[in-house]
Amino acid sequence: MLKRLTMAGALVLGLGAVTALADPAKVMIPANPGGGWDGAGRHTMAAFAQSKVFADGASFTNKGGAAGTIGLAEFVRTAKGDDNALLVTGVIMVGGVITNKTPVSLADTTPLLRLTNEYNAIAVPANSPIKTPQDFIAALKADPSALSVGGGSAGGADHVMLALLAKQAGAPVAKINFVSFSGGEILAALGGGKIKAAISGASEFRQFAESGRIRIIAVSGPTRVDGINAPTLKESGIPVEIGNWRGFVGAPGMSDGAKKLWLERFAKLHETPAWKETLKTQGWEDAYLPGEKFNAFLKEEEANWTIALKEVGILK
Amino acid sequence: MPIAEEAPPRERRSKPWWLGLALAVMGALWLNGARGIASTTNYIGLGPAAIVLAVGLGLVVLGVLLILQALRGDFRAVDDEAEAPPSRAAFLLALAGVAIPLLTMRWLGFPLTAMLAFALVTHGFGSRRTALDLAIGFVLGTIAWFGFSRLGISLGGFLPLLG
Amino acid sequence: MDILTQLIGGFAVALQPINLFWAFIGCALGTAVGVLPGIGPALTIALLLPVTAQVNPASAFIMFAGILYGALYGGSTTSILLNTPGESGSVMTALEGNRMARKGRGAAALATAAIGSFVAGTVGTLALTFLAPAIAELAFVFGPEDYFALMVLSFTSVAVVMGRSLVRGFAALFFGLALGTIGIDTQTGQTRMVFGMLELLDGVSFTVVLVSLFAIGETLYVASRHASAPAAINPLSGGHWMTRQDWARSWKPWLRGSVIGFPIGALPAGGTEIPTFLSYALERRLSKHPEEFGQGAIEGVAGPEAANNAAAAGILVPLLTLGLPSTATAAVLLAAFQNYGLQPGPMLFATNPDLLWGLIASLYTGNLILLILNLPLVGIWVRLLLIPRHYIYGGIVVFALVGVWGLSTSWMDLALMCGLGLIGYVARVYDFPIAPVLIGLILGPQAEIQLRRALAVSQDDWSVLVGTPISASLLAIAALVLIVPPLLAYRRRQAALGKERAAAAG
Repeated sequence: MLKRLTMAGALVLGLGAVTALADPAKVMIPANPGGGWDGAGRHTMAAFAQSKVFADGASFTNKGGAAGTIGLAEFVRTAKGDDNALLVTGVIMVGGVITNKTPVSLADTTPLLRLTNEYNAIAVPANSPIKTPQDFIAALKADPSALSVGGGSAGGADHVMLALLAKQAGAPVAKINFVSFSGGEILAALGGGKIKAAISGASEFRQFAESGRIRIIAVSGPTRVDGINAPTLKESGIPVEIGNWRGFVGAPGMSDGAKKLWLERFAKLHETPAWKETLKTQGWEDAYLPGEKFNAFLKEEEANWTIALKEVGILK
Repeated sequence: MPIAEEAPPRERRSKPWWLGLALAVMGALWLNGARGIASTTNYIGLGPAAIVLAVGLGLVVLGVLLILQALRGDFRAVDDEAEAPPSRAAFLLALAGVAIPLLTMRWLGFPLTAMLAFALVTHGFGSRRTALDLAIGFVLGTIAWFGFSRLGISLGGFLPLLG
Repeated sequence: MDILTQLIGGFAVALQPINLFWAFIGCALGTAVGVLPGIGPALTIALLLPVTAQVNPASAFIMFAGILYGALYGGSTTSILLNTPGESGSVMTALEGNRMARKGRGAAALATAAIGSFVAGTVGTLALTFLAPAIAELAFVFGPEDYFALMVLSFTSVAVVMGRSLVRGFAALFFGLALGTIGIDTQTGQTRMVFGMLELLDGVSFTVVLVSLFAIGETLYVASRHASAPAAINPLSGGHWMTRQDWARSWKPWLRGSVIGFPIGALPAGGTEIPTFLSYALERRLSKHPEEFGQGAIEGVAGPEAANNAAAAGILVPLLTLGLPSTATAAVLLAAFQNYGLQPGPMLFATNPDLLWGLIASLYTGNLILLILNLPLVGIWVRLLLIPRHYIYGGIVVFALVGVWGLSTSWMDLALMCGLGLIGYVARVYDFPIAPVLIGLILGPQAEIQLRRALAVSQDDWSVLVGTPISASLLAIAALVLIVPPLLAYRRRQAALGKERAAAAG
C-alpha cells in the first residue's frame, strides 16, 4: 500500500519535472480532432517545430462545436493574459459569432494574423446540362427551388456563396434550395446525380473530377486553381469571391511584447521551406496577413457576413 | 393483470404514474419549444420545427399511455434479483460520488475529484477502509490524468486552485 | 488472377517484421481504446496523426487499420462484463452479453465475440479484396430516400423486438429522438431546444449519453440493490469456455452478421451501428430459442459483434476505392493519406499498389493478431471481475469521468452525466430498455436529415420516399416487421380458438 503510494508520488514528480522544463504554446483548437481547424493548428505548430523557429513544443486542447464559438468562449474565459495561449480561428467562427449571437467575440481576443486560405468550387454531375457558370446562374434564375445545391453546414461559406450567386442571378434568395451535407456524402450524392450541383472546397472535388464522375464548372478565388480546368467566377463576369481563411489569435490581454514576439515568429515561419511544404501537402493557399491589416480585415469580414447572413435568411 | 395481485405489498403500492407524467411534461416542453423555432421561409420541404413537433407529440402520447398502464397496474418496478431490499443509503452515497465532480472538478482538478468520487462510490458499495479508498482513487485519477494528458487529451489542470 | 498476385505482393509488405510490429502496436492500442468509453478509433488515430511525419506510409496505415479493427474487439469486453459499452457499435452486445456474464458464462460470451469478430473481419476483408470496386458503386446508387428507408427499417425492427413492452420500448426510443433534436439544426442553422445554454448548441454528446445511461445507471442500480447483499450474488467470476452447443448456435449469426455488416458499412452514411441493430433484431427473429433473448442468448452476442467488424471492413471500401470518407474514423484516415500527399481513390491502386495491397494484406494479419491477442485475454478479463466489487464500480465511475470530462472539459457534460445517470437508474428499476434511447439519439438526427434532404431535392413531393426500388422495398420490409408478428399471433389464436370450437362441437 505504502509502496504503491510512494511509487505514484515518484511518478507524479518525475512527469511534473519533464513538463515544467519547456515553455510550450497552449493552442486551443475550436473543433474536434481531424477537421480543418485541427489540421491548421497541429500542422502549423509542427512546421514551427520542424523549422526550429519555435521549438518549445505545443499542447493542444480540442473544444469543438457551434462553429467554433464554444472554443472561443472557453478560450476567452480561461486564457486571459496568458502570453503563450493561441486560438485557431477562421471565417466560420466569424459567421458563427454573428449567427449564434455569442456573448464573446473575436474582439475580446488579441488578433494576430491570417495564415491560409482555401477557395470553393462549384461542381455538377458529369452528365449535367449545366456546363458553365453562366448556365448555373441561368438555372438559378429560372427556378431557384428546382436547383438543389449541396454544401457544408447551413450558414457556412458554401451556403452564403449560393445566396450571393442567387443575388447575382436576380433570383429571390429566400427560394434557394441549399441541402447541407457532411464529409464525403456530398461527393456520393453529386456523383450519383441525387443533387443538381454542389459547392465545397476546391481540393475536395479535384480527385472526383479527375476520375470523370463530376465536373467542376467554376472556382471562387481571384485566380484559377492549378490542376483544375475551370474558370473563376470573376472572369465569367460574376463578381463573387469567397474563401475559407484560417488564422490565429492570442489570449485576451496578451502583452504587447508577446504579441510582437509571436508576430515575429510567424513572419519567420512564413519564409521557411518547412511551411511552404506544409502549404503544398495540405492544399492551402498562402494568405499571410499579419497585425493591424488583419484587424482591419476582421472588421470588414464581420460587416460583410452580417449582411450576407441576413440575406440568406439565417440572421433575422 | 393478475400478477399485480400476487406481488408483495411493497410492490403493489408502487404505481409509477409519475414516470408517464414526466415523459408527457417533457413532450409538452418539446411541443412548446417547437413553437419558438423560427420556420424559415427560405427552405422548401420539412422545416426545422417539424421533427421537434413530431417528437413532442410522440412523447405526450407515450406519456399518457404509460400513466394509463401504471394506473391499471400492469407496469411496476422490477426486482429480478430481489433478495435484498433496495438500500437508500448506498444509492445516495453512489449518487454523491457521481455528483461530486459538479462541485469540485473546476477547483480541485481531475485527480482529487476522481479520488473523492472513487471513495464515495466504494463507500456506497459498503467499503469502510476510507484511507485506502482515497489513496487508490487518487492514484487512479493521477495515472489517468497523466496518461491522457500525454495522449493529448486534456483533463484540465492538475490542481486548478493553485493555477 | 490479377488480384491474387497483387494480394501476395501485399502480404510481402504486411509480413515484414517492422510492419508486423506496427500491426501489433495498432491492435493493442485499438483494443485498449475500445475498452475505454468515449475514446474511439477516430480520436486515437487523429491524435497519432503526427507519427505520419516519422513513419513510412505503409507502416502507419497498417497501425491505423489495427486500431480500427482492435477498437471493435475491445468494445465488446466492457459491454459483456460490466454492461458498459465502450463504443456505439457495442451497445447491442451489452444486451445479451452482460446477461450471459451474470449467469457465469462471461468467457463464452467474450469468446463468441472475439471469434465472431475474427470471422466477420476476415469475411469483410475478403469482400474488400475481391468485391470492393463493385460495392463502392453502391455509394452512388443510394440516395437520401434510400437512407431514410434503411433507418426506418432499423427503428421498427429494433423497437419491435426490444424489451417486454412496446410502449416502454417506444418511450425509450422517443426519449432518444428528443435528445437528438437538441442543438443547431444542420440544414438551416436554427437553434433547437438549447434552453439558452451555449454548451448545448452542438447537441448532447453521444459519449455522455452512452456512459451515463449504461455505466452510471448501472453503478447506481447495483449500489442500491446489491451493495448490502453478500458478494456471492455476483456470479461473474470464472466462467466456462464455449460449449459445442455454443459453437452450433454461433456460426450462423457470425456469417449473417458479416453479410449484413459489410455492405451497410460500405455506404457513405451507413456506419457500424445500423448493422448491429439489424443483426440483433434478425437473430432474435430467427433464433430457435427466442425465450432466451433478454436472458443471455449467445446469438445476440455473436451476430452484432460480427456485424460491427464486417462493417469496419466495409468502411474502407469507399475510402480506398473512391476517396470517400463515410465515418469519422474514415475521415481521419483520409487526413492521414493527405499528410503523405496521397489521395485515396482508383488512381492510388495504380500509383501505390504496394501501399494499398500491403494495407489490405495487413487486415488479414491484423485480424489474426487480434484473435491471438484477445482469446487468451478472455481469461484475464474474466479474472478482472474477481476484483472486489466496490473497486470495480469505483473504477467504472472514474473512467466514466475520464470519458465525459476528457471530451471537452465541460461542466455541462458532468451535469448531464449526473442527470442521465439517474434516468438510466430509473430505466433499470422500471424495466425500460436503454438501447432504443441510443438508437434514437444516433439514428434520429440522421433519419431527419435524410428525410429533409429527400424532400428538398424532390421539392416537397412525398412520393419520392417510395420513389426508388431500394427505398420502396426497405419500407415494405419495415412495414412487414411491424405488422406480421401481431398478425401471426392473431392467426394462431384464431386457429387455437377454431380447434377448441371444433373440439366442443365434436
